[in-house]
Amino acid sequence: MVQSRAPIWFVTPAIILMFLLLIAPVFVAATLSFTDYSLGDPGFNWVGAENYEALANRSSYKKMFIASLTYVLIVVPISVLLGLGSALLISSLRFGGELYKAVFFLPVMATLLAMAFVWEFTLDPIVGVVNETLRSGCDVGWVYSLLTGLWLGLDPATSWYGHGCAEDFPLWLGDKKYALGTIAFIGIWQAFGFNMVLYLAGLTAVPRELYQASEMDGADSAWERFWLVTWPMLGPTHVFVVTITSIRSFQVFDTVEALTRGGPSKSTYLMIYAMFEKGIQQNLIGVGSAITIIFLGFVLALTLTQVYFVNRRVHYS
Amino acid sequence: MMKHSRWFGEFGKHAVLLIGAIVVILPFYLMLSFSFKSPAEIQSISGGFFGSQELMTDRRCIKEGRSVEECSMRPVVYNYTAAFSEAPLLRYLLNGVIVTVSIFLIQVVIALPCAYALAKLRFWGRDVVFGLVIFCLLIPVHAIALPLYLMLAKVGLTNTYAALVIPWTISVFGIFLMRQFFKTVPDDLIDAARMDGMSEFGIVWKVMLPTAIPALLAFAIFSVVAHWNDYFWPRVVITGDRDLMTPPLGLRMFRSDLDGNEYGPMMAAATVIVAPLVVAFLLAQRRFIEGITLTGMK
Amino acid sequence: MARITVRGITKKFGELDILKGIDLDIPDGEFLTLVGPSGCGKSTTLRIIAGLESQTSGDVLIDDRLVNALRPSRRDLAMVFQSYALYPHLNVWQNLATPLKLRDLNFWERLPLLGALVPGRAQKTKAIGEIVRETAETLKIEPLLDRKPGQLSGGQRQRVALGRAMVRQPAAFLMDEPLSNLDAGLRVHMRAELAELHRTLAATFIYVTHDQAEALTMSDRMAVMMDGEILQIGPPDDVYEDPQDIRVAEFIGSPKINILPGSGDSAGGVECLDARLARRLRTPVDGNVSIGIRPEHLELRSKKANGNFEGLLVHAENLGSDVFLHVTLMGGEHRIVVRASPQEAHDLSVGDTVWVGRERGRAMAFGTNGQRLPLVSKQRSRKVA
Repeated sequence: MVQSRAPIWFVTPAIILMFLLLIAPVFVAATLSFTDYSLGDPGFNWVGAENYEALANRSSYKKMFIASLTYVLIVVPISVLLGLGSALLISSLRFGGELYKAVFFLPVMATLLAMAFVWEFTLDPIVGVVNETLRSGCDVGWVYSLLTGLWLGLDPATSWYGHGCAEDFPLWLGDKKYALGTIAFIGIWQAFGFNMVLYLAGLTAVPRELYQASEMDGADSAWERFWLVTWPMLGPTHVFVVTITSIRSFQVFDTVEALTRGGPSKSTYLMIYAMFEKGIQQNLIGVGSAITIIFLGFVLALTLTQVYFVNRRVHYS
Repeated sequence: MMKHSRWFGEFGKHAVLLIGAIVVILPFYLMLSFSFKSPAEIQSISGGFFGSQELMTDRRCIKEGRSVEECSMRPVVYNYTAAFSEAPLLRYLLNGVIVTVSIFLIQVVIALPCAYALAKLRFWGRDVVFGLVIFCLLIPVHAIALPLYLMLAKVGLTNTYAALVIPWTISVFGIFLMRQFFKTVPDDLIDAARMDGMSEFGIVWKVMLPTAIPALLAFAIFSVVAHWNDYFWPRVVITGDRDLMTPPLGLRMFRSDLDGNEYGPMMAAATVIVAPLVVAFLLAQRRFIEGITLTGMK
Repeated sequence: MARITVRGITKKFGELDILKGIDLDIPDGEFLTLVGPSGCGKSTTLRIIAGLESQTSGDVLIDDRLVNALRPSRRDLAMVFQSYALYPHLNVWQNLATPLKLRDLNFWERLPLLGALVPGRAQKTKAIGEIVRETAETLKIEPLLDRKPGQLSGGQRQRVALGRAMVRQPAAFLMDEPLSNLDAGLRVHMRAELAELHRTLAATFIYVTHDQAEALTMSDRMAVMMDGEILQIGPPDDVYEDPQDIRVAEFIGSPKINILPGSGDSAGGVECLDARLARRLRTPVDGNVSIGIRPEHLELRSKKANGNFEGLLVHAENLGSDVFLHVTLMGGEHRIVVRASPQEAHDLSVGDTVWVGRERGRAMAFGTNGQRLPLVSKQRSRKVA
């Protein structure tokens, strides 16, 4: 074939942009994480590992790591299991499956920031629908009895619901005990529909003959067929779903910035928000860059784990 | 007996899914409902879905010195007019369209030829370039926002449309996706085009582009959804200049401007921002779900 | 071992009749083939026997026991699937052991770690291991026991799938196009091996295929199915030699039987093109009939003679042992295939005029509805008359 110059023209713009917009920034961040640079300064000083030491030692950053990991450890398992569960239920329905699929996928499409405000208002301690509904149950005898465990002969005051009726219900986003959980709840609400759709795609890829074979082999109950066929056949989907959900939940920003700004008392101080607050709002580029680098490290670790699992299952096909 | 238990199972599944569906729908329902209601109804959680729509007076209108009759309106009208008059909502929407469309077009112009070259042309260093693409897939743009912001600030591009678009012009994911798709296009098609005297450039746009429409549509949905909804990046590079704000960022400003209980107009604005994608999704569910999950089918 | 009886099975999908009343009686130890073009309902019949699908009406009996309401696993049948349906995450040993574990171990004994604590499990596991080893030995797949299905060739997977069906020593084996994913050479080899396996196991085999050659070579009896009905059932020789329906005649045999138009007269005589058949219809038909002659019952003649077809050679297909000559008759209106030996065909070239004669007493006549019309020789009919 005649060598043409076309390939060069085709790939060069992409290569330049990749270097400029993806690779160079990583090096810039890596370099600046060892400096005390601020935007507007004429120069900077090398400060060695000071920024990383700060991340390791200061309590606010410790809280950041704890909050980020807690958030991921709440959101990932729950949204993955909800995604799998709803996919299994929907795929086994005789009718109406498409409807649930559309409904559960809606949050994936919707502007998260806008929906965050709606949740904020829904969870408002005074005029929010959630607390209003909880409160209204306190006056209905059987609801109160059921939820406080009174019907089991328990002391209503020791139960969560009885306590809420007596002392009012949580402030949710304003209470450091509940804020991270509430943000995580919104994250789960938003993410599980995506996982569901991935699992649905994974399920359609499981050959029907395999289920029939397992039935012939004596797997009589749906439970046995699930563990013999469905679960292992979804292996590649599990790996992908868990990785992408982890990476996405590490990146959560919209809800934190709009609803809690990291508070109360740093209980929702998640990594990307911390990076934004330190690096961009407070112009502490060094610390912000160090957070960037650590964040990239997490993402890299997650992806390499994924690659490891994908390769281990190479003999599927 | 088997029939009975099957129907019972079906019923149980619907019950579980229905509870889930209610929780998922709840905020959408409330958002829409609040955008219809008067402040009093919102505060007291009354008025059902649509509110009673009793006439209310617009305080700002009164302040402007107009008569009470002139300033009386239904809450739904008030909420939506306020959404568009209190903030440049129309401008935000326009910005959203400008930004998402330019991002998508540039991504295609950059990614398509590159993907074609990686999939179908042989040239020195091809594997290295593909390796580079795979490596770049590891880097989430949100994670490197800080250095990108610094670089843009250094060249004086913050608070411009360019700042909103530039970081997204290269979509390694798009390159990867289109390359995988082009791999499935038979070589014969390309050779036939060459025999017909078409240039490589012509092949990309006149042969590969039309065959890639399904994949491109999926990528378009993926890209537009991501950038219409993106709040983080506009928040980083746009500070203060409302004429450049995208819908989510505009909504954020709206929220901080509000005096506490003006929830009606805010929910109206939120509805307007969320609506385009949700409506498009409901109209073309299958395409949307395919488009978004394509990201999962590497 | 088992006798399988199918009575009046019908299957409807909405308005669509997939099966229109299937009756089969398969004695213990028989190798029965269901053969037919795709979509004829043969796989559905097999799945209904297996219990994987339910019939709209009709009964399935195994050893005279009604099994309509029985789950697939309780029918004591094993199935080999077209795609083999091996568990891709389990190795060959585990694939073979799965049916045994599901049958012999209870819920607690199957638990991954806790199971080991249940008393008596060790013995059961040992017994299972013994069966798996024996089966692997029979099928010569012992070296593969540690591999996963993805690492096996098509033929090896095929054997593992057979092994998985064998371990439980089921009452009957059901096979759904088990050879169709293999390449041509291996398929021919596996035919012989399957037939041998059938003799060794002496079990009932029900085998579904669209390939008439498989049906002819392996089965004790074959049932030709079309459009949800069994057209003919019988030993392969009978079905080939004596098809009762023109569709059966056309489906069985390769190359396809030659069908030529003919006409009958009130005396029972039959004309085919410009030739007259030596035999008569037992029941005279005054009007159009179709005449079927297999390629091996036609032969080349050196010159024009009465009752010969004159035609133009348009194509010669040389298979080495035989040559199939494609000849057009009546100026291209009809086309027939003639089997010839390579010596006979040697001097011919495309474009030559050839004369084709018929072997006596081999032509078959079919009515306009496709039914076979019996032909009898003149002497006999004279005697009767």
